[in-house]
Amino acid sequence: MSDLISAPKTSDKPKDSPTFWRKYQGMISSIGSPILLLILWEIGARTGFLDARILPPPTAVAVTIWDMIENEQLLQQTGVTALRFLVGMIVGTVPGIMLGLTMGLFRPVRVALNPLVAILYPVPRIALFPLVLILVGLNETSNIIMIAIGPFFTMLITAMGAVINVEPIYRDVARNFGVKPRQLYFTVTLPAVLPAIMSGVLVSLGLALLGTVAVEFLVSTKGLGYVIWNSWQVLSLKQSMAGLVVAAILGAATYIAMDWLERWIIPWQRTVTKR
Amino acid sequence: MLDSSARASAEQVDGPSTGIFIRDIEKVFQAGDTSVRAIDRIDLTIAEGEFLCIVGPSGCGKTTLLRILGGLETPSRGEVEINIRHENRPVQSMVFQEQGVFPWLSALDNAAFGLQARGVPKKERRKQASAMLKKLGLSGFEDTYPRELSGGMRQRVNLARAFANDPAILLMDEPLGALDEQTKMLVQDDLLKLWEESRKTVLFITHSLDEAVTLGDRVAVMSHRPGRIKAMFDIDLPRPRNALEIRNNPEFIEVRRKVWEALRDEVLFARKAEHE
Repeated sequence: MSDLISAPKTSDKPKDSPTFWRKYQGMISSIGSPILLLILWEIGARTGFLDARILPPPTAVAVTIWDMIENEQLLQQTGVTALRFLVGMIVGTVPGIMLGLTMGLFRPVRVALNPLVAILYPVPRIALFPLVLILVGLNETSNIIMIAIGPFFTMLITAMGAVINVEPIYRDVARNFGVKPRQLYFTVTLPAVLPAIMSGVLVSLGLALLGTVAVEFLVSTKGLGYVIWNSWQVLSLKQSMAGLVVAAILGAATYIAMDWLERWIIPWQRTVTKR
Repeated sequence: MLDSSARASAEQVDGPSTGIFIRDIEKVFQAGDTSVRAIDRIDLTIAEGEFLCIVGPSGCGKTTLLRILGGLETPSRGEVEINIRHENRPVQSMVFQEQGVFPWLSALDNAAFGLQARGVPKKERRKQASAMLKKLGLSGFEDTYPRELSGGMRQRVNLARAFANDPAILLMDEPLGALDEQTKMLVQDDLLKLWEESRKTVLFITHSLDEAVTLGDRVAVMSHRPGRIKAMFDIDLPRPRNALEIRNNPEFIEVRRKVWEALRDEVLFARKAEHE
């Protein structure tokens, strides 16, 4: 036996196809796997391997979605959910970021408010719903509050931590080069914490969508959550599934939009992965 | 401040009348009940236009001394007098370690940071900053973010930021410590060229003997903590110097040996203290 280490044998005749595969491998795999799953599901439902009454085939769900679009029911419900989600997201994240930054910057505020945050944050949020309903009433405001709570605490904790963990050397540099204390916030602190805040916003998106659907399950008479829950209760599983698909698309669309926004807001973070 | 007649006589006795005069500086850090004396009674004069390197064991307070000069710490006692004409330029700028480059600014904006903080108009500061980047071999990287640059390039951005600010004094805190040995020599060479044409007053902190002897007009050796100036060496190697060649010079080797003799005991002592 000779212990020879050599380059792996490459094909003698280089074709276009292997390079094409190598180039688009990631894209093909990531699009291919969900499609494959849908095909298997379709076949399973059609052949009776899966019970079509419980798990309707994707094509049937697609037809249902089309019908619901045609009678204008789906778009309306989606609009209601999207609006709630958006308002809840803004009402939660913006004050959360502001308070988190303030707590990070000013120790007295942090010392005063941290115990409250520590007590309130771990409470299962959905368990607060009855309390909110009693305090605010059975209306849209309490729905928005429920949606906003998750993003609020997430952003508060993320922003506070980010401010505390800003590399001290950045402030030293700014001070040495004559940046005035009140300009320090915009020249150093804010850009330094932006990446952490953007990841917090991504996490909040998931929480807000979760909150929206939960609220619609429980009290609302409108929205995708209502469609999903109500259809399931009357055993109209195709409609329930249709609502689920649209909710998933809504979630994915916001996530992609945020990802794009992130590239635009913090271009210096993404440059490494550009290739 | 000394009055002018006193200064004139001081010049005859004590050397230069312009420069940085550090007198009896002491710094004690307070953390709860414990206090740590970082530097202890340092007297040091750095002449205008001089390149002074300070070497010392880890934790000897050399960075603290530099931070006092950079306005980032105040001494617990003693005083620093800076008597260097600076007219319209800033008195001092620091060159920080590599991670001091702002990741959210392009190379050009980083290099122009000091000018921007001083309110120099955009067009003017961009011109000066890009000229400095060019001198340091970074043309074409103006719009690149630090993350995309190598360690050596990032450190040259750091140098560009300080030199573009055109201060009278440069305070450097182990700026090349994180670089690999070969890149370090290249950046040292860049630094020598920049300095030899500008002749700013430089205080350069390092723990590398080779670096100190390569760059400095004088090398000060600091003791273990609490830091004092233990010994001072004149480096009479001719200028302009070449960082890539100078290490083979017999004079270099000889003076390096002398500095090491002064430093060795301090390094060993600092290590012993660390283990106790």
